[in-house]
Amino acid sequence: MNREIKKVLVANRGVPAVRIMHTCRDRRIPTTAVYSTPDRLSHHVFMADTAVHIGDAPPIESYLNMQRIIDAAIASKADAIHPGWGFLAENEKFAQMVIDAGLTWIGPSQRVIKLMGDKIEAKEIAKKANVPTIPGISKVSNTDQIRKWVKDEKIALPIMIKASAGGGGKGMVKVENIEQLDQAFAQACSEAKKSFGDDTVLVEKYIEKGRHIEVQIVGDEQGNVIHLFERECTLQRRNQKIIEEAPSPSLTDDLRGEICFTAVRLMREIGYTSAGTVEFIFDVLAKKFYFLEVNTRLQVEHGITELITGLDIVDLMLDVAMGKKIPFRQADIRPNRWALEVRLNAEDPKTFSPSFGTITRLEIPQGPGVRISSGIYEGASIPPYYDSLFMLLMTAGADREDAVRTMDRALSRNLRVEGIKTLAPLLLSIIRHPAFIKGEFSTRFIEEHMDELISMFKEKTGEDEALKVARYVAEISALGPQKWM
Amino acid sequence: MKKTKVKPKDTQNNSKMCIISELCSMSPVFVKPGMSPKEIVSAVRSLKGVCLTSVGMRDAGQSDFKNRHRIYDLKTLAPYYNNMGLFSAETHGGARWHVGIMNRREDPFEECQILRELMPNVLLQTLIRETNLWGYRPYPKNVIEYVVSRVDIDVWRCFSFLNDVRNMRTVAEVVMKRGRLFEPTISFTVADWTTNEYYLKVVDDMVDLCGGIDEIVLCIKDMAGVGNVTRIFNIIDAIKQKYPELVINYHRHITDGLAIPALLSAAKAGAKIFDVQEDSLVRFYGHSPILSVQAIFEESGIPVHINRAEAEGAVQRVREWINYYDWAESPFKGLDHNVTHHKMPGGAFPSSFEQAQKAEFLHLMPYILKMMSLYNKVVKYFDVTPGSQITWVTCSGIINKYAKEKGDAGVRHIIDLMARFVEQKGQEFEALTEDEQIELLELFRNAPGDFKNLLLGNYGKLPVGWPAEWVYRSTFGEDYRERLKERKETSPLDAIEKDDLDKLRNDLSNTLGREPNEEEFILFLMHPKDALEFIEFREKYGDAPLVLPTDVWREGLKKPGDRVDFELFGKPYTIELVSIGAEHEGVIHVVMKVNNKTRVYKVDTPRAKKSEIRMAKGSNEIGSPINGNVWRIGNTKRGAIKAGDIVQRGEEIINLEAMKMENAIVAPFDAQIVEVCVKLNDTVQEGQLLFVVEQVQK
Repeated sequence: MNREIKKVLVANRGVPAVRIMHTCRDRRIPTTAVYSTPDRLSHHVFMADTAVHIGDAPPIESYLNMQRIIDAAIASKADAIHPGWGFLAENEKFAQMVIDAGLTWIGPSQRVIKLMGDKIEAKEIAKKANVPTIPGISKVSNTDQIRKWVKDEKIALPIMIKASAGGGGKGMVKVENIEQLDQAFAQACSEAKKSFGDDTVLVEKYIEKGRHIEVQIVGDEQGNVIHLFERECTLQRRNQKIIEEAPSPSLTDDLRGEICFTAVRLMREIGYTSAGTVEFIFDVLAKKFYFLEVNTRLQVEHGITELITGLDIVDLMLDVAMGKKIPFRQADIRPNRWALEVRLNAEDPKTFSPSFGTITRLEIPQGPGVRISSGIYEGASIPPYYDSLFMLLMTAGADREDAVRTMDRALSRNLRVEGIKTLAPLLLSIIRHPAFIKGEFSTRFIEEHMDELISMFKEKTGEDEALKVARYVAEISALGPQKWM
Repeated sequence: MKKTKVKPKDTQNNSKMCIISELCSMSPVFVKPGMSPKEIVSAVRSLKGVCLTSVGMRDAGQSDFKNRHRIYDLKTLAPYYNNMGLFSAETHGGARWHVGIMNRREDPFEECQILRELMPNVLLQTLIRETNLWGYRPYPKNVIEYVVSRVDIDVWRCFSFLNDVRNMRTVAEVVMKRGRLFEPTISFTVADWTTNEYYLKVVDDMVDLCGGIDEIVLCIKDMAGVGNVTRIFNIIDAIKQKYPELVINYHRHITDGLAIPALLSAAKAGAKIFDVQEDSLVRFYGHSPILSVQAIFEESGIPVHINRAEAEGAVQRVREWINYYDWAESPFKGLDHNVTHHKMPGGAFPSSFEQAQKAEFLHLMPYILKMMSLYNKVVKYFDVTPGSQITWVTCSGIINKYAKEKGDAGVRHIIDLMARFVEQKGQEFEALTEDEQIELLELFRNAPGDFKNLLLGNYGKLPVGWPAEWVYRSTFGEDYRERLKERKETSPLDAIEKDDLDKLRNDLSNTLGREPNEEEFILFLMHPKDALEFIEFREKYGDAPLVLPTDVWREGLKKPGDRVDFELFGKPYTIELVSIGAEHEGVIHVVMKVNNKTRVYKVDTPRAKKSEIRMAKGSNEIGSPINGNVWRIGNTKRGAIKAGDIVQRGEEIINLEAMKMENAIVAPFDAQIVEVCVKLNDTVQEGQLLFVVEQVQK
């Protein structure tokens, strides 16, 4: 069945909203932006053809306000909604509301979102589909259950408490020793409630030195499920990915084939449509991978898959949403690039504490092999209410060394952000670290090497120093000679 | 601030071959960094005539311009110095260090580094106080060792304002062990008690301390400029007779107007090295003009080892920037032959007069100078830092007190009383009337703490004994006998307890919030408060003190279109003023173009409204680790926390939320909450004070 899409409302802000509008513009599909009060002058608002104010700063009043968004779509004559990532992207209730309102939902079916949205159920389904899973217990309502499981199953700490409805690191707390358990449990439940409106949590054994590998999948309503190969997302801080690459440097070709087809098998089993990701944790020493979860949405790091395959995943999502068949077969997908992505968050690179404010100066990297996905512009503000990600930097090259070299150039020579702190110094230290260059790292790489990474921060740049001199000249020009003069 | 590496001693010998070959060539350079002290001394001895030390970069600026000359301008002289054939260039030390970090915002390490690069042929010289180094208090021995071993200077001119040679031991040992030239220095003045016998004893002690005369240069520091032609010939002649091979340097200020004949007289008596400065820098309290000295010496048949063309070049170069420093000159113009009475040294002149001008007692200066001339017959030491400051503060304090309480007549009265006491009664206290005695017993009651320290021996022994008993009574009141028992006969080197350097470094590191580098730590050891301000200034304004021309450094850019060009890290920069806005609610907006890009700077004026955010300091104040929002004070178990509550170590006391992540802050120890400094839903900054707590003792 073919449905037409005449106008897309993007139920998101910042980087994802802008990204989706790019493809819509390529296809000459008009777009509607939605915005909260502090986002009135945001980048995505002006990228769109129409913009609708949907509420105040707190997400619950704006970007999580389902009815307002649907009303905005109808009012602006949009006939489809793309949720981006985060916010309502994996909310099956919203997906259903969209469909009930007679609009097209650009994403996997409400049924699949629901199925995979419950981490506990997802794991059961994976087990049934013969996909290996990590030891753990689900539907945990108190810490005694956890203590009992640790004792009975002789589980060695650390363990990880996760929001059942979660993702993006929110509601995820690692427990190193049993004394931390009470506080960690309380925090995980509370964060889960705040971020997802559901405080159900699960507990799993934490795989030390594990690598995080995920497989990009696209499926259509005709039953075709195709993988677009894997991404390595091992480098994380506070369980949030900050550097991703494709392909994974951890896998041999045999393992790559195995992990990709395992993912396809699972997704075919559940009847997946649109774009989605199967996440695995990979135990390097044992050469074993375990199912983590399915992300029923477009992911932040989808761009590197686009870079190595030459495809546009948002474009495919639009096709699938229109009921079209995926226009290629598995054998047609032959990646011929290595791609790297770093997430530019508005955070202190030493403490990760958020840094909000106005971007007073912005210079964006250019040159061969660079792709930028930005949610801001010079003069824009980063409000304190939302995610700290404001720009993705991607580079591609013939091989890994090439891609890393280009990223080094982009971060160290081209990029300039003034007014807020960014992770850039840390990202640069990481890609220059010998262990990263050799491809030897785990999800704990950053915490293990933090001091060393900080010591690699370049202290001074000519331009920063010149601006300090200028600040002096400005003050002395305005105020006159100093007291002692 | 880049690290200045101290050259290890053994690598210096590698360059010996090329030094020797250069000495044989026509270059006027006859000593250079890397030569051993013995080689340097022997090179000076073998000169046919005399040689010169340029104080153009240090003492000249201190004596007439309050140390305000910036390295930006001074470094223009370096290429001339490099080929001039100087014995050394005094570029470092004295008050230049302190004024550098406090006002010019340059640190002495970067100055050395800049000059080393521009004049690698020249021996860099410092002026250092034996226990006070470049500060104003005696430092413990371990601090002296630590600092002296890390400063890249070739010639160490070291003096004691008490001529207490014992105090020089630590500096001498460290310098000589490093293979650098130690220059023990006699503080010289003319008084009835400063006899040849007295000075020869000082020289003997110095020679003993340094193990002979082959690796040192002896300096006679005539800091006020009081040595007359006869006296100076006589003293140098006496020293030369006892130590014919000793190389003597005569350092003489020009305050009395008779410096050049005195230099000539010293040369005839056998002095080998003379302090000079650019003719164009000469004012009233510094040193003799280099070209004039060269001319009169040559005319008198004493060859001067100098490339005159280079010296002329430097003199001319000074004229290009010296007019930017009019504002820094001493308000007391002209020479002052009365210096032979009041003995105020050249280095202290401009700062003392500046202080008098600022505090509006310039009109009292003649009385203060007169009081100084009487005072230094009562308390006998040498008027050079820190002694000159003690003299100045004590005497200006006395005169100001009289002026305030009794007016001009009172001032004249006390001068008259002191003059009669000193000049007519031969300082016989009992010869005064009872009223006069009572008055003198009040004279030093408000004297500064350093004066008291001096009397108690905390700086070392006074050169010719302690002052009379009435001075102690006057200073300490009726329980002076108790205080007298505290008086020490030892050197402060032995008396002062070691500082805990690790702890100090830790303190600094905590204050800065990062590891200090070696140079910052040394600056902190010398002047803790000013060093912190300096570091803060440079973190904020970068290299502004080094790269901006002096007019812009002082006044900024004045009108739209004015611009300043400079180089930073090898690249060109231009700052151009677009406009300066009107002041509005304490803020002025300045628009400038920095390398063609327009930028707006918000400048707070002193009238700016201060939004006070209290930051956490010290271990009893808990600060926010992040920027965020306070969404819970206390925890789920206990509920809210308020002042007076006792919390357990590790208990969550507040929870901050930022970008949807929760951050629990836990009590660092068992504590009682003294104050809760934030409210629910407050937005807090990183470092902002959340709680004041008090540790609960178990």
